[in-house]
Amino acid sequence: MKRILLLLSIFFFVGTSQLIAADVPTMSKDELKSHLGSDKVAILDVRSGRDWSSSEFMIKGAIRAAGSDIATWSKDYPKDKTLVLYCA
Amino acid sequence: MKSPILLSLALGCGWLFSPEVLVIIGNSAGNLGWLAIPLLALTALLFSFNSNTINRVLQSDAHNSEISLLKKSIGKIPAGTLSIASCFPLLILAATALLVTSGYTFNEVFLYWFPNFGFAFLLLGLLTLLQFLPVEQIYRVQLLFVALAGFGIFVLGVYGTLTPAKPLATIFQTPAELSAGSLSSALLLLLFAGSNLFQGNRNHFSKVALLALLVFLPWIFASLAHVNPERLASSTIPFMTASRKIMGETGRQIMGTVVIMGSCAAFTGLSLLCRQKLSELSQEKMAPLFVEKGGQRWVFPLLIALSVGACMATGLAGDELLETLLRSALLLWLLYYCFVSFAAVFVIKKEQQTMAGTLYIAPVLLSAGLAAILFSSPHSVEMLQYVFALLIAGSCFAALLVFIQSQNKEQT
Repeated sequence: MKRILLLLSIFFFVGTSQLIAADVPTMSKDELKSHLGSDKVAILDVRSGRDWSSSEFMIKGAIRAAGSDIATWSKDYPKDKTLVLYCA
Repeated sequence: MKSPILLSLALGCGWLFSPEVLVIIGNSAGNLGWLAIPLLALTALLFSFNSNTINRVLQSDAHNSEISLLKKSIGKIPAGTLSIASCFPLLILAATALLVTSGYTFNEVFLYWFPNFGFAFLLLGLLTLLQFLPVEQIYRVQLLFVALAGFGIFVLGVYGTLTPAKPLATIFQTPAELSAGSLSSALLLLLFAGSNLFQGNRNHFSKVALLALLVFLPWIFASLAHVNPERLASSTIPFMTASRKIMGETGRQIMGTVVIMGSCAAFTGLSLLCRQKLSELSQEKMAPLFVEKGGQRWVFPLLIALSVGACMATGLAGDELLETLLRSALLLWLLYYCFVSFAAVFVIKKEQQTMAGTLYIAPVLLSAGLAAILFSSPHSVEMLQYVFALLIAGSCFAALLVFIQSQNKEQT
């Protein structure tokens, strides 16, 4: 039983560790709140599959975009605009 | 658990009360309007009729399980292939989808600060631990999952029916035109909603089907009485939209509980089904003895947990591919039952010489529906590829099990 518990614990942490992605600059919830409605920020909902279909909510003012097509739609935004992407 | 009725309820309703079926039912209500109600009754009738046919054959001494029936009809390896390919991929893919849905529901309905992914993994861990308990206790917990999910849908359905937001004439308005979406919804409702009712003791099948109707009929009516059909048809979570309209925040919380309990019930029900299949394979000398003895209780839950965990960790749930794969796995599940149904009809024909042609109706309808779903899908080519890939993988696994079994036999 101890082995099983140990395995499941490892499994849990390996699974959730993906949430802590590294190199991308992140924005806190409060920081984003202060930018809501600003022209300098575009919020993009890049959730897909179940991440999108199972959720009831969307951040106010967010626009849906496909994460895989970033090269295409990123050209539509001026370079001085901050793009905030959320995927979960 | 001693009562065969409770056993049937615990297994049969596992899939029925899952969010997957709630989406199919909600979208169907939107596309078909009130016609979804008689269609659901027809679903229950179709599967009830088919189940009785299979039951007639399985009650005889010659065929004591579906696998034994299939083995005698199409041979050892094809029977093993179909049994393995139809249920294990479905368990892994459905569990991935359901756990992620539960994670979002928990996060958005109950605790905003709790990560959805963390909840999905936590639930996977707990449901895996449940699998290590004695089977008797798993059935008790499963019955609790089913009861809570079913009761929640029933309460919302009855409350919504008693407090309609629209006049009766609007609710019972027939859709102006039945589009391709309506046909697709009708087929999905007809085939996928009832497909897992096959589990459990078939002697009580009609009671399970009746209970399902009792729960879902008020729910469909209540959904139509509170939400616009277009909204129901296009929503990816029609159950949540309807429950919010019916009872506000309390409705969301009840539906949140239903989603989590329904997901647990579907996961546990499918796990029990797969374990039963492993035991049957072993009893039919199509798998080594350890598969039945310890394998299905100790090794199998761990392998499933690792597979589901890997699917979630690699982001499969966030990929559209999961839906196509899940649909393919469901088609394989139906294909398996088409084969079992036809095998049962052929056995009856062989044994009794004369036989009512009506026995062919259910399997023929199932097969036609299966083909229609496959070829009307925009992803039909991919789905065909996945079905073949899963069948090939299943045949390799079935052959391996038979080989190990024969080696063990030679040694003893």
